[in-house]
Amino acid sequence: MGKKLKRVVAASAATALGLALAACGGDSNDGDGGSGNNNAEPGQAGGELNYLQHFLFEAADPQRIYYGVQLANWRRTVYRGLTAFPMSEDPKVSNTPVADLATDTGTMTDGGKTWAFTLKDGVKWEDGSDITCEDVQYGASRPFANDVITGGPNYTLSYIDVPQKADGTSTYPGPYKATPEQQKQFEDAVSCDGKTITFRFNKPWVDFNAAIAGLMMVDPYKKSADKGDKSKWNVLSNGPYKFVGGKFDQAKGGTLVRNENYDPATDDPEQLRLALPDQINWKVNDSDTAGETFNDQLIEDSPDVQNAITTARLAPQQLLKVQSGEPKERYTNVVSPYTDYLVVNAKTVTDPKVRRAIGLSADINGFIKALGGELVSEPADSIINPGVTGYKPNPAWADRNLDGDIEAAKALLQEAGVNGKVKLKVAYQKSPTYDKAFSVLQESWNKAGFDVTLDGQGATYYDVLASPDKDIDIAWAGWGADWPSVMTVLPPLFDSRPNISATSCNNDYGCYESDAFNKLIDEAANAASVEEQIAKLQEADALLGEDVGYIPLDNQKFNWMHGSKVTGFTTTAASSSYPELGLIGVKQ
Amino acid sequence: MSTTEPKLGAEAAGAAVDIAAPVTSVASKSPMQLAMGRLRKDKLTLISLAFVVFFILAALTAPLAVHVFNIIDPLKTNQDALDSFGRPNAAWGGISWSHPLGLEPSVGRDTLSRVWYGLTFSLLIALSATIIAMVLGVVLGIVSGAAGGWVDAIIGRIIDLTLAFPQTLMLLALSTTGLIMVRTYLHTPAGNVTAAVYVVIVLGAFGWTSIARIVRGQVLSLREREFVHAAQMMGASRTRIYFREILPNLWAPILVSFTLMMPAFVSAEAALSFLGVGIAAPTPTLGNILTDSVRYADIVATYFFVPAIVIAAIVVSFNLLGDGLRDALDPKSDR
Repeated sequence: MGKKLKRVVAASAATALGLALAACGGDSNDGDGGSGNNNAEPGQAGGELNYLQHFLFEAADPQRIYYGVQLANWRRTVYRGLTAFPMSEDPKVSNTPVADLATDTGTMTDGGKTWAFTLKDGVKWEDGSDITCEDVQYGASRPFANDVITGGPNYTLSYIDVPQKADGTSTYPGPYKATPEQQKQFEDAVSCDGKTITFRFNKPWVDFNAAIAGLMMVDPYKKSADKGDKSKWNVLSNGPYKFVGGKFDQAKGGTLVRNENYDPATDDPEQLRLALPDQINWKVNDSDTAGETFNDQLIEDSPDVQNAITTARLAPQQLLKVQSGEPKERYTNVVSPYTDYLVVNAKTVTDPKVRRAIGLSADINGFIKALGGELVSEPADSIINPGVTGYKPNPAWADRNLDGDIEAAKALLQEAGVNGKVKLKVAYQKSPTYDKAFSVLQESWNKAGFDVTLDGQGATYYDVLASPDKDIDIAWAGWGADWPSVMTVLPPLFDSRPNISATSCNNDYGCYESDAFNKLIDEAANAASVEEQIAKLQEADALLGEDVGYIPLDNQKFNWMHGSKVTGFTTTAASSSYPELGLIGVKQ
Repeated sequence: MSTTEPKLGAEAAGAAVDIAAPVTSVASKSPMQLAMGRLRKDKLTLISLAFVVFFILAALTAPLAVHVFNIIDPLKTNQDALDSFGRPNAAWGGISWSHPLGLEPSVGRDTLSRVWYGLTFSLLIALSATIIAMVLGVVLGIVSGAAGGWVDAIIGRIIDLTLAFPQTLMLLALSTTGLIMVRTYLHTPAGNVTAAVYVVIVLGAFGWTSIARIVRGQVLSLREREFVHAAQMMGASRTRIYFREILPNLWAPILVSFTLMMPAFVSAEAALSFLGVGIAAPTPTLGNILTDSVRYADIVATYFFVPAIVIAAIVVSFNLLGDGLRDALDPKSDR
């Protein structure tokens, strides 16, 4: 399924990505041309899949999950949401939510301030009881108890229209501590009428149905099963599988078996979850070497991992072993949702022309070669990842010379009236690979007339970056969107109002301040439709390009290996470019 | 080298056969001449001496080649010579006329330049550490051996304590604190200078014990010799006896220890670099080139073997030279 096209992606990733993915779309049964690629066969139900996980989850409670891979894979197996993202390799399709537990993708009224969803008939918990509107209401109330339900996304806290304190935090303390009056205030904001749940917000949220398709902050939760922090590792499933014993063991994992109370008729298996294997053995090993060992076994295709997939990406030194021969058939190279960029400190490099000269003279191709080449990264032309809805190359950077345009940079510096060499201090998170990559950039900047010193930093890197009076001129940073909306990229990184205080620039590492930009963000936040919002945000991104608020570097790529008996292996925007568990089957 | 003993026997036998030769011609050889004679016959030691001289000359000329003549540039990247995965285009790790030892994967810096210049830093660190260890060891060894009594006992216990110290572990555990201390008390600029000073101090501070023990043993017998007693009778000060009377008789074990300690510190620098302590890239040392190359060992093997072979060659040649010197200077030494 789409596997051959994936290899097209690997070969021409730098430019043809969007097209290749778009051409891929969904489940293709049109033969594999006899290449012997077993993954092109349609998957069949049955069998056992091994899921090799090389790190520890933080929770099994839907309202406390924040790892992208866990959100994506558990959406396909145990936790259905009101809406969900479909399993398509086309990011346009997989970034558009479809109905899951709800009958449709929700009804937005009042300019995005009110959302209503109606639950389907016949949707059940694994214990056989119906999923009710009250379960959704209860689930939505839990993140407010942020002393108990910790670790999950907390966007709803600032949106749901319950009375707020002077500092903007909610007065509602969550279901455990609320007085009857507070509970009533919450149930007014998130109200039930039969099977219809209505969310009332204090400000517009036009892509709410997309936010909850990936994140589980308003997933249903059965009140009688809630033991607060004690149910951190309990899983009460409503999906096609359930965990044996109803628990996930953080350090060992668990076994997923069929949930007999799940009715595929209430679901859309083709789009949302094929649920092919009869059993999924979730095996956790978080030792330092586990990820590399899993992949070594997968490369060899040793018998006990032939039916296995893993959360661990191939290590750089393993990449070239899988570029030829049989292992290449089981290898996947995709663009990840993570984009790296440089911020220029607006306080120390005040002239936008100088900032632009820095961006133009950067040898991006050399930088990527030093990171490990085209298998590891591809050049980025915006801070917005290609997998995000509303991605558009930033006009300021779309046509730059990726080898570093030294002459253009020199001309700009001259235009800016710079005398002598401009001293620049460049900070990044130290590692042998990044030391090399930045020495390449240093060389190209020095050629253009800068005098660059590199400052590789340790574990407190982001704290240093947040400091408003740092002496750093350029800094490396990386970002991945929480849900595929530009609203989760530009505002958190460049809106100066929530970020900049006397003691910190927070996520606005370059301390970028622009009233024009902030105005566009406000207009986007208050937009009446997703399209209008995207248009405003693209305008804001173009402004950032002109002001050189950031310099796009690269989109990281993910490298995956899977066993020879695994069918339907692919990754989607919905699965954060991790293996899309909903499509995967096992050959017997 | 056990071959030395039969040779001596042959020499003696030859002398016995040649009855006509005057006995005085043998007796007239000074110990130095005897040692040189033995050394000249030891081909292996002469070859290793040539290697050692070569490495030292290379280390001395590298800064000139980089900064004066600009023949080599250990920092210049040549990414045009790499493929899209960051591997050198040419076979054998990018070996060509312009890059005789190939290229560093991912950035394409010239391996010959890096190894050549790295040799300077590695040998400089090893030499500095050896000198510190030697001075400490010789002084404490002489004092311990000549003074005897409670001084000897205390120094002996200090040696035991130093040997019992888990030095590699402590070196790593204390590296953060150690670097800060070096920077504060010695006022070195942060970064590589501090790191190098720290490594030199630590290697020196833990490396002096073996030479101290050897020297002490020698001094124990020397201090009973007539010339020492004579000096004492004439009222010579302790310092004079230690450093004017005893020290000149110790040059043989000192020289041998020196040649054996250098290679140990060259490989110690490489090991420490692997563990993340020491001069950091892009400034090359043999240790950090080797550390870096390990990551590419199965992709670009040439890049891995070049620093590995150079380190091995240094260690082996210095060791063989040291062994040869010991045999030549003290043929009765029991190994």
